[in-house]
Amino acid sequence: MKKLIKIAAILILISGNLFAQKYITKNGKISFYSDGEVEKIQATNNQVNAALDTTTGDIVFKVLIKSFEFEKALMQEHFNDNYLESDLFPNSTFKGKVTNIITMSFNKNATFSAVITGDLTIHGITKNVTEKGTFEIKDGKIIGTSKFNVTLSDYGVKIPSVVSKNIAQTVLVNVNVSLEPVK
Amino acid sequence: MKNWIKIVLILIGVAAITALIVYKFYINKPHKDIEKADADFTVKTENLYKEYTSNKTHSDSLYNGKVIEISGKIDKVETTDSLVILVAVFSQDDFGDAGIRCTMLPIKMMLKKLLPEL
Repeated sequence: MKKLIKIAAILILISGNLFAQKYITKNGKISFYSDGEVEKIQATNNQVNAALDTTTGDIVFKVLIKSFEFEKALMQEHFNDNYLESDLFPNSTFKGKVTNIITMSFNKNATFSAVITGDLTIHGITKNVTEKGTFEIKDGKIIGTSKFNVTLSDYGVKIPSVVSKNIAQTVLVNVNVSLEPVK
Repeated sequence: MKNWIKIVLILIGVAAITALIVYKFYINKPHKDIEKADADFTVKTENLYKEYTSNKTHSDSLYNGKVIEISGKIDKVETTDSLVILVAVFSQDDFGDAGIRCTMLPIKMMLKKLLPEL
């Protein structure tokens, strides 16, 4: 009996590996929202690279800072030149793991809460973070969403006191990626 | 009121209004209209890809913030709920097909919706 369970366990493991699948996108969306005292600022990036390995739970994001689009051209210029210094630090990345990936199955439509932990790099500074998100499995795709706060000073982004009322110290980041299986 | 005080006050007023207009224009300056802009460079997709993969720093210094007109073979068209992206694929990276990606302007998206065969 024990042997049988072992074999069954091994079979399950093997079949799990057989269905090992990487899901990717290059058209993910990340936006952020700054609720300053004087003005609200929002920017969106529609060219986010993301990859998820559903067997290991490895998850990676790569974002080109210059691809964030603002309503006002001047905001975009200041964001790139003065605050994020996108010529020096062109990319922002996240490399981490979905710690509860084992509780999810990706072969039928369902929604799972995800806990994701890893290294977030913004403006050349890396911090270990843990955030919550959702994976919605829909017709073979995984729609990953998450909302979390980023405190600018944690990543060495300095806001001059002249505009401190225009820009919030903590911005709300909104992630929405539609990941497709690698064929 | 003495005449010279009047003149000074008017001048201050005019200066203040001018400053305000210039400031308003400055903070609301429009995004570059890529569609109407003249191209700073005209490049073939495969050459642009080659240049970036062989010397990224040099290519960045050349092309960053510039308008580039590109031509070449489109390998696939990707769509999201709001965007149409034309892709020329040259290799593979961690996130799938790597190459030149052109996100179309909204007017092109509308055309695409009206005439899906395009």
